[in-house]
Amino acid sequence: MSAHEVVVAVLLAGGVGIVALCSAGMALMASAYDRLHFVAPASVGAILIAAAVLVEESPSLIGIKAILAAVFVLVTSPVLAHATGRALWIREHGAPTMGPRDGIEVEET
Amino acid sequence: MTVWFVAAGALLLALIPCAVVCIRARLEEAVVALQLAGVIAGLALLVLSEALRREPFADLSLVVLACSFAGSLFLARFLEGSG
Repeated sequence: MSAHEVVVAVLLAGGVGIVALCSAGMALMASAYDRLHFVAPASVGAILIAAAVLVEESPSLIGIKAILAAVFVLVTSPVLAHATGRALWIREHGAPTMGPRDGIEVEET
Repeated sequence: MTVWFVAAGALLLALIPCAVVCIRARLEEAVVALQLAGVIAGLALLVLSEALRREPFADLSLVVLACSFAGSLFLARFLEGSG
C-alpha cells in the first residue's frame, strides 16, 4: 500500500466517520433543536471526502465537482440550520412582533 | 472491492438513522433528519462516482445537493405556517 493510498484512505475514513457520527448523534438526540446541531458538522466530512477525491484524481473534472460539492455543503449548511431553527421557533412561539421599544430598556428621567 | 466502495457503503448505512428518525419522530425532527439525509446522499453519490470511475455521475451528486437544499428551505418555510 503506497503513501498515496494511505492518505486517500485516511481522508476518506475521516470524512465518512464524521458523517456517520453526525447521523448517529442526530438520531440519539431528544429534541429538534438538539438534532439540528448535528447537521452543520457534516460539511467537515464533505471537505475531507472532497480532499480524498482530489488526492486520488489530482486536478480533474471530478476533482472540481468534488470541490464544488464541498463548498456548496459548507455554504448551505449554516443557512439551512438557521432557517430551520427560525422555522421551529416560529412554529412554537408564533411570529416575532417587534415594536419600536421592544427589548430596549429606557431610563425614566 | 476498493476503499471507495466501502466508504460508499458506510455512507449508505449512515442514511438508516435518518430514515428511522423520519419515520418515528415528530414532523419538526423529521425535517432535520431529511436535511442531513440529503447531504449524506449527495456525498454517497460523489463517492460512488469515484468508486465506479464514472466521472459524469458526480453531476448527480451536485444536483442532489442543490435539490435537497432548495427542498429543505421550502419545508422549513411550510413548517412555520403549519404550527
